[in-house]
Amino acid sequence: MMICTGSLADLKALPYVEGTLPASEVEQFEEHFFDCPACLVRLQAIQAVGRELARNPVASRREPEPRIRLGWPTWLWTAGAIAAVLLVCVFTYESLEARLAKPTVAQGPPKSIPQMQTAAQPAQPTATPVRISQLADMTLPVYSLPNLRGESLDAHFEAGMKEYAAGNCRGAIKALAMVPGESSEGRVAEFYSGACQRRMGNLASASQLLRKVADAGDSPQQEAALYSLAQIALTDNDPVTAHRYLLRTISLRGDLEQRARGQERRLTELIAQDKEAKGKNPEAK
Amino acid sequence: MGHGNYMSGEHRAEVEGIAVEKAPEDEQLVLAIASGDREAEGAFVLQYLPKVRAMLLARTRNPDLAADLQQDVMIEAICALRRGQVRDVAKLSSFVLGIARNILNSHFQSAVRRPATLEFPNELPDLATAIDSMVEQQEQSLVQRAISTLDTVDQSILQLTLVEGLKPGVIAQQLRLSPEVVRQKKVRATRKVVNLILKLSQNNSTTHFSERIVR
Repeated sequence: MMICTGSLADLKALPYVEGTLPASEVEQFEEHFFDCPACLVRLQAIQAVGRELARNPVASRREPEPRIRLGWPTWLWTAGAIAAVLLVCVFTYESLEARLAKPTVAQGPPKSIPQMQTAAQPAQPTATPVRISQLADMTLPVYSLPNLRGESLDAHFEAGMKEYAAGNCRGAIKALAMVPGESSEGRVAEFYSGACQRRMGNLASASQLLRKVADAGDSPQQEAALYSLAQIALTDNDPVTAHRYLLRTISLRGDLEQRARGQERRLTELIAQDKEAKGKNPEAK
Repeated sequence: MGHGNYMSGEHRAEVEGIAVEKAPEDEQLVLAIASGDREAEGAFVLQYLPKVRAMLLARTRNPDLAADLQQDVMIEAICALRRGQVRDVAKLSSFVLGIARNILNSHFQSAVRRPATLEFPNELPDLATAIDSMVEQQEQSLVQRAISTLDTVDQSILQLTLVEGLKPGVIAQQLRLSPEVVRQKKVRATRKVVNLILKLSQNNSTTHFSERIVR
């Protein structure tokens, strides 16, 4: 006989679903909710909320806008337009002065004045695709042996990582594909397979594998997966996605933070330069 | 997948703080299944599938895998019950939970998901009927209503937590809040949405929700 009003679930169901409940408490809570409908129903409700939010993500939720916005803020447009006007004025004045100073020189038709509105046209971030993709870090992530605590590694995983260490990405992918997805090495295998796919230029497969690792939550590979996803986006000349993944990498405050910060800074500069160049010379490709 | 048994009669009794006697019901199930009663197997599935499903979903965080494994768990449990292997009927829950853990561990440790000893009995109860699309739709709309009562920040926190698996520190940076505020909002929003779902379930006239678990 059991009397419970769901108070245990109020405390433990959320950490249980999140995977942050200590192992000893996990088993206790499972024993409990198998016999306690009040707690089971609360657990199911939390899981249903997760399912619903996965099905219909919060529309208004957005990660904070990257510091580089592809649509420039209004004040920047205004500043750009003023700068363009000034440039045109200076150019026109100099041109007029030159003509007045040298009246005998054969005069051709006046140079066309740059049209004002072109300075205000939206900048295309992909105008410098080669330069953006050049930022991508193509090095393979270094593999270091995990602490085994007396357990042996999955044989396929071991074989795959030997190939990986030898630089044989094709062999590594083949062997790592045999590692059971939910085994303790499953996520690690997915990460290194993703890294190999990236090295081999299979960006779609690489993204798919790396996103699984990145989205699976806290793990030793999460940061590197986010960083690698940023590199894929750079290779793919997708500065928005690259910037988003770089910010997520930085937010984890891990080993790759400094590298990600450096790239994020360079990416920001590159896009700013590109926009500046376009502002000055609207015909520049 | 539907898991919409939010407020069975048993649940309501529990929520209202009423003691629930379980063992006689389990004993009847165990005896009936051992004697070949196929309806009892169906009742067993309806009673335990939601629990097994909730456990596997939490442990794997993978709905497809959880759906696969829950079939294995129920099949193995029914096989054992048919063979009369449950000696202590008062511990039927622990018995089923043990099977679920074993199958989960086997899955994690081996590429071979199905244990070698698993038999495939004939005339298994149809596990698919335990999941009713109408119930699923009702559950979905009810959960949607409950979520819509939360403010956008709370919704975002729950999404980043439950769907994207992010920690409060990371969520705090994304939403430009302090981690402590995120923690508090997360707990409060969860409690609020769960209570509302339970309340809406209680008010829901679709009583077949409750009839499905406890027979």
